[in-house]
Amino acid sequence: MEEQGGSEDNEPVDLSIHPSGIVPTIHNIVSTAFLGCKLDLKQIVLQARNAEYNPKRFAAVIMRITEPKTTALIFASGNMVCTGAKSEEQSKLAARKYARIIQKLGFAVKFQRFEIRNIVASCDVKFPIRLEGLAYSHGAFSSYEPEIFPGLIYRMKMEQKEPQESEVPKKKKNVVLLIFVSGKIVITGAKVREDTYKAFENMYPVLTEFRKVQQQ
Amino acid sequence: MATFELYRRSTIGMCLTETLDEMVQSGTLSPDLAIQVLTQFDKSMTEALENQVKSKVTIKGHLHTYRFCDNVWTFILQDAVFKNEDNQENVGRVKIVACDSKLLTQ
Repeated sequence: MEEQGGSEDNEPVDLSIHPSGIVPTIHNIVSTAFLGCKLDLKQIVLQARNAEYNPKRFAAVIMRITEPKTTALIFASGNMVCTGAKSEEQSKLAARKYARIIQKLGFAVKFQRFEIRNIVASCDVKFPIRLEGLAYSHGAFSSYEPEIFPGLIYRMKMEQKEPQESEVPKKKKNVVLLIFVSGKIVITGAKVREDTYKAFENMYPVLTEFRKVQQQ
Repeated sequence: MATFELYRRSTIGMCLTETLDEMVQSGTLSPDLAIQVLTQFDKSMTEALENQVKSKVTIKGHLHTYRFCDNVWTFILQDAVFKNEDNQENVGRVKIVACDSKLLTQ
């Protein structure tokens, strides 16, 4: 499988997008789609391969494909959630494949309302971070309770580009960063990869500010 | 008590079914009694496998397909290896049907 998102040692990094020189690697993409018709889940699980359906535990068929390696939750309403893809295109391709599988079983499937819901990425700044200091100076956005979770949870408010008057109040764009002492960072909550990258670049100068100086 | 009918498709189960069929056809056995015998067969197979079989087998292979529906797991393995204490056997393709034995006690 090709490496999506890239890492610093492969291709040259576009410093206009990634001034830090670090490109977060995307690990998971969650997307949803509507198949345009009601579904008989029992019929699906009996006919399709690699499917699970245990209505006592969960009201959806869980189906997997190997290329792109993903898992889908398929609901009787016709809604579908696709998880596990490493890029937006792969997520859409996988969602289309699931739709095709359901269609082949004889349902009047129409692939619609495809939407990326979440992008999870991670990277390593390769220096340790003083989380207490960071939590203290960015108290409004940070939550750091090492007894509950060892990482600092940073809720970053992303500014809206060109607020359009015509549109109904947009959903707030929030990206969450999990920052660990080790310098490893997890970025989640973005719907477009630009927001993931932006959030990390916003954070990077702050991380360098709170770089832990190691004493011997 | 509920029974699993999956052992009826085994060689011994098929033979029993055939024999019972013949006996019903020839009138030596009533259909009701034949059904009762088959139900007892289901129970006895489950019991025998549970209590009288001590050997353990491990099955390892490439999972080609799986399914879980109505509390039954179905697996299709490719290039499987069946291993027990003293020998092993390779099988190109094998289908495993597994039922939850907890359902029997309900």
